[in-house]
Amino acid sequence: MGKLVKYRLNGREVEAEEGRLVIDAAKDAGVEIAHYCYHPALGNPGNCRLCVVEVAGAPKPMPSCRLPVKEGLDVRTDTDAVKRAQAGVLELHLVNHPLDCPVCDQSGECGLQDYYMKVGRYPSRAREDKEHKGKRIEAGPHVMLDQERCILCTRCTRFVDQVTKTHELGIFSRGHQERVEVAPGMTLDNAYSGNVVDICPVGALTDRDFRYKVRVWYLDHADSICPGCSRGCGISVHTSTKRPWHNEGRRVARLKPRWSEVNGHWMCDDGRYGFANLDTDRLGKVLRLRPERVELSWVDMAEELAGRLDGVKVVASGMLSNEDWAAFKALFVDTLTVQDLYFSAEPDQIGAEDDLLRKKEKVPNLKGAEALGLKSGSFDRLAEDLEAGKVRCLYVIERDLAKVWGEARARALLTQVPLLVFQGPNKGALGDLAHYRLPATAYVEEEGCFTNFEGNRRPYRKALEPIGCARPDWEIFKLLQEARS
Amino acid sequence: MTEPSAPFTPEQEAALRKWTQYYPYKQMGLVEALRCVQDWHRHIKPEAAAYVAQLFGLPFNHVWGVVTFFPTFTTKPTGKNRIGLCRGLSCWLAGSPQMAKRLESTLGVAEKEVTEDGRFSWEEMECLGACEQGPALLVNDRLQGQATDEKIAALAKELK
Amino acid sequence: MTKILTKHFDEPKLHELETYRRLGGYQGLEKALSMSRKDVTEEVKKSNLRGLGGAGFPTGGKWETVPPEEKSPGPRYVVVNCDESEPGCFKDRVLVARAPHQVIEGALIVAHAIDAHDAFIFVRGEYQNQYDILEDAIREAESAGYLKRCGMKLMRGAGAYISGLDTALLETMEGKKAWPRQPPPFPTVVGLMGRPTAVNNVETVSMLPHIMVNGGDWFAKIGAPKSGGTVVFSISGHVEKPGVYEFPMGVKLREVLAAAGGVKGGRKLKCVIPGGASMPPLVEKDLDVALDFDGVRAAGTFLGAGGMIVLDETADAVAVAHNIERFLAHESCGQCTPCREGSAWTERILGRLLDGKGTPDDLPNIQRVGENITGKVICALGDTVGVITRAYLAKFPEDFKKRAANG
Repeated sequence: MGKLVKYRLNGREVEAEEGRLVIDAAKDAGVEIAHYCYHPALGNPGNCRLCVVEVAGAPKPMPSCRLPVKEGLDVRTDTDAVKRAQAGVLELHLVNHPLDCPVCDQSGECGLQDYYMKVGRYPSRAREDKEHKGKRIEAGPHVMLDQERCILCTRCTRFVDQVTKTHELGIFSRGHQERVEVAPGMTLDNAYSGNVVDICPVGALTDRDFRYKVRVWYLDHADSICPGCSRGCGISVHTSTKRPWHNEGRRVARLKPRWSEVNGHWMCDDGRYGFANLDTDRLGKVLRLRPERVELSWVDMAEELAGRLDGVKVVASGMLSNEDWAAFKALFVDTLTVQDLYFSAEPDQIGAEDDLLRKKEKVPNLKGAEALGLKSGSFDRLAEDLEAGKVRCLYVIERDLAKVWGEARARALLTQVPLLVFQGPNKGALGDLAHYRLPATAYVEEEGCFTNFEGNRRPYRKALEPIGCARPDWEIFKLLQEARS
Repeated sequence: MTEPSAPFTPEQEAALRKWTQYYPYKQMGLVEALRCVQDWHRHIKPEAAAYVAQLFGLPFNHVWGVVTFFPTFTTKPTGKNRIGLCRGLSCWLAGSPQMAKRLESTLGVAEKEVTEDGRFSWEEMECLGACEQGPALLVNDRLQGQATDEKIAALAKELK
Repeated sequence: MTKILTKHFDEPKLHELETYRRLGGYQGLEKALSMSRKDVTEEVKKSNLRGLGGAGFPTGGKWETVPPEEKSPGPRYVVVNCDESEPGCFKDRVLVARAPHQVIEGALIVAHAIDAHDAFIFVRGEYQNQYDILEDAIREAESAGYLKRCGMKLMRGAGAYISGLDTALLETMEGKKAWPRQPPPFPTVVGLMGRPTAVNNVETVSMLPHIMVNGGDWFAKIGAPKSGGTVVFSISGHVEKPGVYEFPMGVKLREVLAAAGGVKGGRKLKCVIPGGASMPPLVEKDLDVALDFDGVRAAGTFLGAGGMIVLDETADAVAVAHNIERFLAHESCGQCTPCREGSAWTERILGRLLDGKGTPDDLPNIQRVGENITGKVICALGDTVGVITRAYLAKFPEDFKKRAANG
């Protein structure tokens, strides 16, 4: 932290770090200044000219994104001159804009709409034809580009140049012919491509996955943590439940990164688009499937099952929250004194790692288990024991063993087990083999906490109601434990 | 990714390499190197730009941005002889719009199109800095003042 | 009539080292090298020499802002700006072609003043003849031993007007799009490749040998109170004898016009653009304006780079404004929104007026659009976009009203 100095903001004396940009300092003091090109992680090219403020002694409005705070600076954001300048610049931003809001996915969260209402509100005076550029360009697997909507703020090109360093996008040509384009022969297919949609202040870059699914004003938001790897990026879960017939009936509409010290402003595409199973293949009933299929209440299930768990071997995964792990330990380790726990990340949960965000363990919370002193045995050893018929009871939590051993082998191994319990949000390939199948909530349906690879606590909030009678894993463990005492 | 191919002769490649070393910093030679490519190929293809990018250690999108920014560089071929006609204020007052029509009718192609035999293309250019001799022409990088119907006819006849 | 730069222009071989030296060439450099850097800068400050590329910034004052070696260790550069591209300006073309050594000598004096060991002359690509002449002259200067302390290299542009703006010039030299930077920091502090750099115009540096030889006081006395020495006007348009004319700063517009033979064909004067097409015009009543930076400024326009375009009574202000705005729209670098969008919009409105589809609403609208551009942009090109149409509208409202009534 640098030296604190006093400056004036709209006539009020405010303290800020010397050299902090006025646009940021004002925000700290509760004054939002309209802007497009400035982004705290991507620099301040000062090309949108919207964030102007009046500075005592300066002959003309100054862009606040290029103005450092210093002692005695006297800044106003609320004068007529500022409002006129902003409205005038906004009109120029919009003069070639297609104004196709009714069919634009950005509607409702668009910088042009927001600032028109805030600082614009002028009557349209443009009689000239609009500049025509490319539309519906598939920039990459996840991103659609509309050059006519673009205001050339260069945030996206700065992202691919500075953050991913993959350089797929550029501003080509010049003057009013200028356009954002995918460089010839390239595709916007880096592992973080979805972020350009978030930073695009207008509807030029939209998300192919989300396009036309649901209007943003029907969405609800909840702070969450991405469970896609051990980084634990802050995310916001955007859900669509007000209009259940929208978004093809799926409740989770999209995931957006949420700023945190862990991930900054970004998230990876694997995490962003990896939520397909939140509404498909879900379990909602407590079932005993064999010898015959019977639906049970939680209490009946617990009474029935609790006594049969001695000698159980337990398979789990790093998907469990810290709360789950605590109840897991209380039940299996402290009460049932189980030695044989299997939860390590196997090839089913190992993937690409890079030096930006992605970690190779594709589950969020192996650290949580480690912190409780839990140790995982070898899945190879478990397979051997299953093969040898040494496993009387196997309890599988939030893990699809078909992905660990291959479906055929897993099926063969599990068929021989006298008592097989499955617990989790999804049925998976082998769900029908279980004797008992217990529906657990997905992370979006519960509150909890992960511990990321660095040991940071990553709390997440509930975004949706559980499906059917699903309960968080910890509650199920607790029920079973209570039934034993 | 546009694969950098090496569409250059060994002599051309040596010339490009010279520009990577001519100035105190490599990247300072970029515009001169691209001028060479424009001269040789009469336009700059993405493959050639990608090759130059590699030589200069710059990202391709950067070099392509430079190529598409500067009017000297074209992404489709010019004629073997590239004729520019100044449309700056003084040349315009001196009659450059009439000369544009004359170029079109004499060469038989619209602005920025190439004649069938590939010999010519013409284009309007911004001020060429020969305002006292308007309308000015830039014929293959050389300024010529006082364009007239006769001068244009002679160029069309004489330039190979 | 006092001439400094063009004094020997009737010498056919002035571009050769031998002739240049015979006429006193390189004595200014010798003198400068015998002085301390600080004294050279002081002498230039005394001369009231101001940047003749258009900005009119005091040259000595500019050099003074180059940080001393101990504050910014490492190389510093001299860049001579020969990217003359403003419609109406061609004096650099002539100065380089006729007296290339005057430019080289001047650049070496700048190099001494700011302690640079590398100088570059950036020549617009369309001046290939000038490039060749400079190449030969640099070779001569090198053989004569003038480039031992400071090397000199040429570089060509690629057709962008905006490259002529100092910070855009530096970007171009660094192999980038010519997108202007936003000072501060100024190039004298953070310039070429991040190093302190003096960017000076061809005409400005050409003055330096003469200031060194004759002294700053001599130079200051020639010119106007705050603009020393002479200025080389490029005169074109509706005049009898277009060409370059050198006059002391502060000369009356009337006098310059007379030297160029007056309005062509004896027609009536409509206006004179004093500094290049992007400066507002002067009219008949301004004929006694003193042509120096401050005198022209007081008349509401700019001396710019002395690119004077004369327009006679047949010129239509709407068509002239359209030609200039079309130029600016074509040359807008596209970096900042008001200029990128505003220049194209202004051009289109003017085009519509010319097509006979104007309406009375158009006039307040172009006025307003102009106001929304000037002062809201990164560089001077953008400011100009908003100034030009308003200036012609203010001075020739009848031309505009005629067009606006057609719709």
